[in-house]
Amino acid sequence: MINILLRYTILFTLTLLALSAMSFTLIYLFPADPITNLTGITPQNTIQHDALVRQYRLDSAYLIQFWHYLEQLFSGNWGYSLISGEPLKDEILYALPATVELSAYAMLIVVLIGIPIGCYSGLRAYTNADFAINSISVSVYSVPVFWLAVIFILTFSLQFGWLPLSGRLNLLFDIPNHTGFLFIDILLSNEPDKSLAMRDALLHLILPTLSIACISTAAIIRVTRRSIIDVLNQPYITAAKARGLTNRQIFFRHVLRNALLPILPLMAMQITTLITNAMIVETLFSWPGIGNWLIQAIYQRDYSALRIGMLAVSTLVVIITIAIDLFNRLIDPSREKFESVTI
Amino acid sequence: MPLLDIKNLTLEINNGAQSIKALDKINLTVNAGEIRALVGESGSGKSLIVQAIAGATPGNWHLTADRMSWNGENLLSMSVEQRRKVLRKDIGVVFQHAIASLDPSVTLGEQLEEALPDELIDGKWFWQRAQQRRRAVISTVHKVGIKDHNQYLRAYPHQIPTDIGQKLMLAMALVNQPKMLIADDPTRGMETTTKVQVLKLLSRLNQTRSLGILFVSHDLLAISSMSHTMTVLYCGQTVESGKMKQIRKRPLHPYTKALLDSAPSFSKDLPPKSQLSTLAGTIPTLQHLPIGCRLGPRCPRAQRACVNVPAVRKIHDHSYSCHFPLHMEKI
Repeated sequence: MINILLRYTILFTLTLLALSAMSFTLIYLFPADPITNLTGITPQNTIQHDALVRQYRLDSAYLIQFWHYLEQLFSGNWGYSLISGEPLKDEILYALPATVELSAYAMLIVVLIGIPIGCYSGLRAYTNADFAINSISVSVYSVPVFWLAVIFILTFSLQFGWLPLSGRLNLLFDIPNHTGFLFIDILLSNEPDKSLAMRDALLHLILPTLSIACISTAAIIRVTRRSIIDVLNQPYITAAKARGLTNRQIFFRHVLRNALLPILPLMAMQITTLITNAMIVETLFSWPGIGNWLIQAIYQRDYSALRIGMLAVSTLVVIITIAIDLFNRLIDPSREKFESVTI
Repeated sequence: MPLLDIKNLTLEINNGAQSIKALDKINLTVNAGEIRALVGESGSGKSLIVQAIAGATPGNWHLTADRMSWNGENLLSMSVEQRRKVLRKDIGVVFQHAIASLDPSVTLGEQLEEALPDELIDGKWFWQRAQQRRRAVISTVHKVGIKDHNQYLRAYPHQIPTDIGQKLMLAMALVNQPKMLIADDPTRGMETTTKVQVLKLLSRLNQTRSLGILFVSHDLLAISSMSHTMTVLYCGQTVESGKMKQIRKRPLHPYTKALLDSAPSFSKDLPPKSQLSTLAGTIPTLQHLPIGCRLGPRCPRAQRACVNVPAVRKIHDHSYSCHFPLHMEKI
C-alpha cells in the first residue's frame, strides 16, 4: 500500500518536473525577450532590464535558472500578464475553477447517464434496443462539439429563449470570488436572494454542460456496453449461473464490478478529451474558464500567460489521470501490487 | 427412476454462416448413487454436455432433446428461474477451467458462501447465520483437502495455485449438498497424490451420501477405479454405454476398443519398446464432420453401411451404436 503510494508520488513528481521544464524552455522558444516571457514585464530601459535579469537569475547557467524558476513557481510568483498587467496567479485561480466546475458537472452527467445506459445496452446485446442505443451513441459521438454547442445556442437560447446565451451568471448578481466554485461562492456571499442566484447559475450551466457531456456520454456508453458483453461471456458468469444464482445477483455481484474495473482507466482518458472539449465550449459560451482565457492569450500573444496556462492545464490533467489510476489500482484486486506504475 | 435422464440430446451451434451439429443424439442417464463416467478424447463434446445440463448456453446454441429431465421434471421446458433453483438445490457443477470459473474480483470465501443456499442455514439472527455460513464453508473446504482455510478463503483467484482452485471449485459444487455432482475433469493436471485424494473423496461421498456423479474425464485409470458405468463419446455421438466391467471386458464398439487399447496400463502384455496402439488420423473438426457414423473415416471395420448413422442397439443394459460391432459371437 505505502509502496504503491510512494511509486505514484514519484511518478507524479517526475511528470510535473518534466512539465515545468517544458514551460521553462518556452521562455526561450517564444519570440519575445526571455525576461518578458518570464515575468510579463516589458522593461523600459536597459537598467531595468539588467536588474530584472539579475533578479530572475537569467544571467546564470540554465540549470540554476530552472531551479530559480521552480522556486518562483512554488512561492506563487508566476509573473504578470503582458496584456492586463494582473498577477497571473490571480487570473488562473479565477479561471481554472470555472473549468473544473464545468468539467466536473459534465463528468457527473457522463457517469450517471452513460454507465446505466451502457449496462442496459450490454445486457440486451444484439437486440433492437441495443442497436438503437448503439446507433444513437455513434452518431452523437461523431458530432463535433463546437457545432453541437452552436446548435444548442441556436435552438434553446435564440429560438425558444429558454436558457441564457452566455456567461456564468447574470451580471445583476454581484458575487465576490472566494473559492472560484460559483455555487459555494453564492452561499458565501451576502446576496439578498441566494436561491435566485443559484437558479440563475444553474440555468447558465445547463447548455455548456450538456454540450460537453453528450459526446463523452456516447463514448462511455459504447465502452461500458463492450465491457459488459465481454464479462458476460466469461467462464465465471457461466459458473455463477450453474451455481443457481438469480440474474439480479449475478449482475450486481459479479458482472458490474468486473465490467467497471477496465472502464476506469478509459474514463481517465475520456477526462482529458472532456477538458479539451470544455475549453472549446467555454469560448462559445463566453464561460470565464481557462480555455477561454488561454484562447484570448493566444490571440493577444500574451506569452507569459501562455506559459503558465499550459503548465496549469497539464498539471490538472496529470493530477486527475494519476488519481484515477491510483484509485483503480487500490480497488482492483487482480492487479499485481508491485507492477510498475504508468500513466 | 434415474436422476438425470437425457435422450437424443442434439446441440446445434449457429456460427452465422451455417449451423453445426456439435452433439448428435446423445443419450445419457445418471441414477441416484451411481458414478457415471463420460469418456472421450478432446473435442468429442464432453464439456458441451456439461454446459448444456448446467443451462449455461450462449445465445447461438440451439438445444433439442426428446427428453432431458431431472428427477422427472423436464429441464428444457422449465423457466430460467426454475432451472436455476434446481441447480442451486440439487446439482453441483465443477467446470473444466477452475481459475477462470472463479470471479477475479471477489474473495474465494465470499464466493463459497454465496453458493450456500439459505435453506441450509437456520439461525435466528443475521450474525448467527453469518457464523453458520462460515462454519459450513470451512468444513466443506476441509473436506476437499484444503487445510489452511484462512489463507485461501481470504485470497483472490489469481493468488492461488491451480490445484487449490480445482479443489475450491469442487468445494463450491459440494457446499449446497447436492444429489448429483457434475465434474468436468476435476483432476486435470493434478499431481498423483492430490488426484487420489480427490477421487477418494468423490467415492466416499458416493458411498456415504449416495451422491450421483457424472465424472467427465479422459483419465481412463481414474475412471476404471471408481466409476460403475461408462458412456463413451466420439465427436458428439454416443458410441457405447454400459457397465464399466462389461465394457472393459468386451467393448462392442471399435472406438471403445481403440480407446481402451490406447491406455498402456490396461494392456499388461505390452512388450517393451513396442508401438502403442492408436487409431489412424485425428478427430475431425466441427466444421468438417463426416456423415453417418462419425468414426467412419478412421474406423478399421468401416464398410459401406457406415455412411448411415447406426441406430442404438441394446443388449441388456449395454447399448452401442455400430453397424459392425466386435465380440458379437461371444454374447
